[in-house]
Amino acid sequence: MEAASASSSLHHAGEAAHHGPPEAHRSSRVDPQMLGMLLFIISEIMVFGAFFTAYFFIRVVDGNPWPAEGTELPKAIAGVNTAILLSSSVTLHWALEAIKRGNRPAFKAGMATTFLLGACFLFIQINEYVHVGFAPYDSAQASVFYGLTGLHGAHVALGLLLLLIVTVRAFRGHFSPQAHRGVEVPGIYWHFVDVMWVIVFSTVYLL
Amino acid sequence: MTAKLRAPGWYRSGLFLLLGIAFSWVLVGVGRLAMDYPNAWTDGEAITTVSLIAAPLFFLVGLGCFDYWFYWASGRPTRAEDHSSHGAESWKDYFRVNTDHKVIGIQYICTSFFFMFVGGLIAMLMRAELAQPGMQFVDTATFNGLFSVHAALLIFLFVIPIFAGIANYVLPLMIGAPDMAFPRLNALSFWLLPVAGVMLSASFFAPGGAFASGWTAYAPLSTEMPLGQVFFTVGVQFAGAASIATALNFLVTIITMRAPGMSFFRMPLLVWANFATSLLVVIATPFIAASQFFVLLDRALGFNFFDAFVGAGKDGSVLMYQHVFWFYSHPAVYIMMLPGFGIISEIISVKARKPIFGYRMMAFSLLAIVVLGFTVWAHHMFVSGMHAWIRVPMMITTAIIAVPTGIKIFSWLATMWRGVLRLDTPMLFALGFLTTFTLGGISGVMLAMIPFDIYVSDTYFIVAHIHYVLFGGSMLTIFAGIYYWFPKMTGRMYDERLGKIHFWATFVFFNVTFAPMHLLGLDGMPRRVADYAEQYATLNLLVTIASFMLGLSMLVFLYNMVASWRGGPRAAANPWRALTLEWQVSSPPPIFNFDAVPTVVGGPYEYGVPGAVHGIFQSPAEAKPTTAGSVATSPTRE
Amino acid sequence: MRRHPVAQMVIVGAIASAIGIVIALVIDWFPADAAEQAGPIDTLYDVLMIVSVPVFVLVTTVTLFAVWRFRMRPGQENEDGPPIHGNTRLEVIWTAVPAILLVSLCSYAYAVLVDIEEKHDDQLVVHVTGQQFAWRYRYPQPGGRAIETTALVLPKDRPVLFKVHAEDVIHDFWVPAFRVKIDAVPGITTEVRATPTKLGRYPVVCAELCGLGHAVMRSSVRVVTPAAYDRWLQEQTAPAGGEATGGATAGGEGEAGGGGGADLAALGRETFVSNCGSCHTLADAGTSGAAGPDLTTALRGQDEATLREDIVAPDARITEGYQAGVMPDNFAETLSAEQIDGLVAYLASVSR
Repeated sequence: MEAASASSSLHHAGEAAHHGPPEAHRSSRVDPQMLGMLLFIISEIMVFGAFFTAYFFIRVVDGNPWPAEGTELPKAIAGVNTAILLSSSVTLHWALEAIKRGNRPAFKAGMATTFLLGACFLFIQINEYVHVGFAPYDSAQASVFYGLTGLHGAHVALGLLLLLIVTVRAFRGHFSPQAHRGVEVPGIYWHFVDVMWVIVFSTVYLL
Repeated sequence: MTAKLRAPGWYRSGLFLLLGIAFSWVLVGVGRLAMDYPNAWTDGEAITTVSLIAAPLFFLVGLGCFDYWFYWASGRPTRAEDHSSHGAESWKDYFRVNTDHKVIGIQYICTSFFFMFVGGLIAMLMRAELAQPGMQFVDTATFNGLFSVHAALLIFLFVIPIFAGIANYVLPLMIGAPDMAFPRLNALSFWLLPVAGVMLSASFFAPGGAFASGWTAYAPLSTEMPLGQVFFTVGVQFAGAASIATALNFLVTIITMRAPGMSFFRMPLLVWANFATSLLVVIATPFIAASQFFVLLDRALGFNFFDAFVGAGKDGSVLMYQHVFWFYSHPAVYIMMLPGFGIISEIISVKARKPIFGYRMMAFSLLAIVVLGFTVWAHHMFVSGMHAWIRVPMMITTAIIAVPTGIKIFSWLATMWRGVLRLDTPMLFALGFLTTFTLGGISGVMLAMIPFDIYVSDTYFIVAHIHYVLFGGSMLTIFAGIYYWFPKMTGRMYDERLGKIHFWATFVFFNVTFAPMHLLGLDGMPRRVADYAEQYATLNLLVTIASFMLGLSMLVFLYNMVASWRGGPRAAANPWRALTLEWQVSSPPPIFNFDAVPTVVGGPYEYGVPGAVHGIFQSPAEAKPTTAGSVATSPTRE
Repeated sequence: MRRHPVAQMVIVGAIASAIGIVIALVIDWFPADAAEQAGPIDTLYDVLMIVSVPVFVLVTTVTLFAVWRFRMRPGQENEDGPPIHGNTRLEVIWTAVPAILLVSLCSYAYAVLVDIEEKHDDQLVVHVTGQQFAWRYRYPQPGGRAIETTALVLPKDRPVLFKVHAEDVIHDFWVPAFRVKIDAVPGITTEVRATPTKLGRYPVVCAELCGLGHAVMRSSVRVVTPAAYDRWLQEQTAPAGGEATGGATAGGEGEAGGGGGADLAALGRETFVSNCGSCHTLADAGTSGAAGPDLTTALRGQDEATLREDIVAPDARITEGYQAGVMPDNFAETLSAEQIDGLVAYLASVSR
């Protein structure tokens, strides 16, 4: 999965150097990297879909209490965490707009802020695991809770890796108003991770 | 030596493999120490589980699958693309990371056939045991392992990837593209495959034997199996990742890289079929990944997804596994069949010298199968104890999905009607496919009928049905496709006489092997058993003998392929006088497929239409148009 | 001109279909039918065959005819067929006709389904529990303790509702002669109905892969007259007391009920055959299971205490080459104290 997301943003780098093969005809206005990322996100949505199926069966079909008796989910902390993650989407968008306008300092600041906000989210999430008071093996509901939030956490980690790459490259002076696909494509992934969190948060914590 | 260890390749991958195992060991040890678990450094099961996940990734890094991306990610200037990883000059080039879709296609095909022979030999062992009632050669644990590995290998390492392999080779050529959209991703998805195959096969060496819960790996049996099960759980993840990445690549290639003039309704049906298949893969495959994540979490970290025994916290849902699993694995049947439909469409049209009958309906029926394919999964669960009401809608959708399938079969028949049929090996396999697949389809409709399914589900009737679909269906289309494109891929002709012997032996012994299984099932013989009642002895002996003959017929194929590739007569660019673009370039095609991207000006199957042309080459310097191809006059009416 | 070969094809097709249908209907492919459910299901099969055979014959005949009539002849190497791209009417027909056919088949199958799953007021409820690798049965008694047995006995002509449970993994309760099956699923209770109509003994099969002993997870069902059923019920409810005969007859008909002997070892042998034999070979008991160690040799010279522990706590000692966790560890609960005493006595007597 890592490879898929990376490659979709990577391929263009080599294109300039093509000397052997004929230039492929572009039969669609959709950008290949963008399309690849969208398809990858569809796959990712389906992975989440399967985990939500587990949630649906254990909570709705089998009618088990949610959360398991004697446990409580820290709604407030998770709410704060949601705000943190959502604001990282805003800063990422800001960074992208900045590089489109050629404002490099704002772009760097935006990327760094986004990365820090994401890392902060992940840190709070791990902290929540430590203090939540139940383990995955305590009950099926706990398994679903850790499964869904853990799956999302793994995606945040992967997204952070992509953001880190972009940030490092930003500080090395890469990207320009003309060439910023390397920001845009990981950006789509990050926005997807954020939207997914809103769904996870509302189903697991709020409902 | 150090230079060898630093450059991408087998030496470095060996080193990295060891590093990966060491890394997993340390990771498990540190983790267990931190959690205060006993014997932190000596828990073999935990170390193996983590190694199975991490070591292959290290191996792939060592092999060089990720080199380019690491360079890019670290922000260093990437090396100029010199196409050094493109094309193959000697056999050694097939054993390294190569970004040429034609090389990758051959790599896929050869790897898949290797695992086909492994899986086939395993089947021979099973049939040997089943020749007589009672236990003779293997014990029940081994037997359960045999049929599980047999199915897993042939599904995940043969049928699914070999279609990806054939399409990898042919599809970019067919749509006039110089390569796939993401060549490096393409290389990576191929190399994930041998990893998965070795893992599944190696499970026999795990303590407690190979995974023995069937290819379905139903929980909670799979969560209680010995260590071998993890080889399946993790191996399938690699195969699934490979399959998703390839499908994504196909979709992007088909959407964005078609030659000018190649509208969707001028695409050959093989391209359509792979488009439909890739949609299924991208949407459905994540579900099997998730189902195996659940099993892995239950096994390795003590999660309770499937722990449903009475007691506190034991509220897992056993049926959930089957829903998630079949939501992938029913579409998987179409993933294993639609590319075959594409191959048959190509062959029947070319060999009957007629346009495909009802081209648009053929394309739409593929899409109809994709959509309906997602609505039928629970027909595998009529006796699973799920809510009874789900069965009826599933029965109806399952029956309805036979309609688009029927459209395809009738259209092929109509395509042959009044044609000029060349009955060579690819066509024979295509015709064999038509009859046996019809039988498989009919037994499928019978199985959709809930009361009948209640009786025969989990019997040999199911075994017969799935083999009529996957052997009589997919396998025969694979052979048809391999013979059909063999001249294009190797530049050599195969031996027609041996090809026909192969066909007749396969066709006859296939039917003798699997047709009696219908009767065994009707008579009440359950599947997945090493031993059976005396009353089934005669038919089982017949099946076993036929299956050995079927196995022998594969040797004819193997010999034909190897000998013809080494020393067959040179093949012309277009021995079949086909119109599609891949036949308009030399055999094998030049390294970058085309010197200039061709322009498509007509449909792909205009046989018999005076003056019909599919593609025009602007600079015909090397890819000289052949009789049937790009000249502006009728290829046949001189 | 062209009419003629098509007519030929129709005739050949009709004859072939007729032959196929006759073969499918005349030969009885099914095992004995012993329940009301068998009739509708077997008829459904017949109807499906009547519909399916002509479809298969159609495809095969057209294929063979095309091969015979339109194959390339010498001199035709460069010839093409006529460029026919399609025929809307034909395409509509072969979309609509199968669709109508399939929907009608579904409606018929639905009617059959309703028929075989019809609820009855006077139904007998039997609880079936699957466990690696044996079946257990429980008959709830009005106002009394439920009867627990390892033998399934059913009265003729009385609708039975099986409530199916699983102890460990998924099993599948299947009586081929009744034509119905249902998975036994851990955590939920599944249901299946059958009304036995013929006296006799029929196999009970586990149809869902459940582990090493799956192939030998067999039992049998005995359909008896209502009077015999009541008698059997009486025997089961009679206090076991010193008389071990009750447990013994539970093992099955035909076995001498222990008669006056009634000693522990006879009960033990009976218990062994119905509870252990599917996994363990033991020459004396005539069993040939292969999932667990061959007890003919493995038990040599063991004392009674060890034997008892081997039964109630099977993972304490594992024979080399076998795995822990395979043999059920709940025999202390599922077998009565007498049965375990009997087993120990019996095994001690054969292992000397």
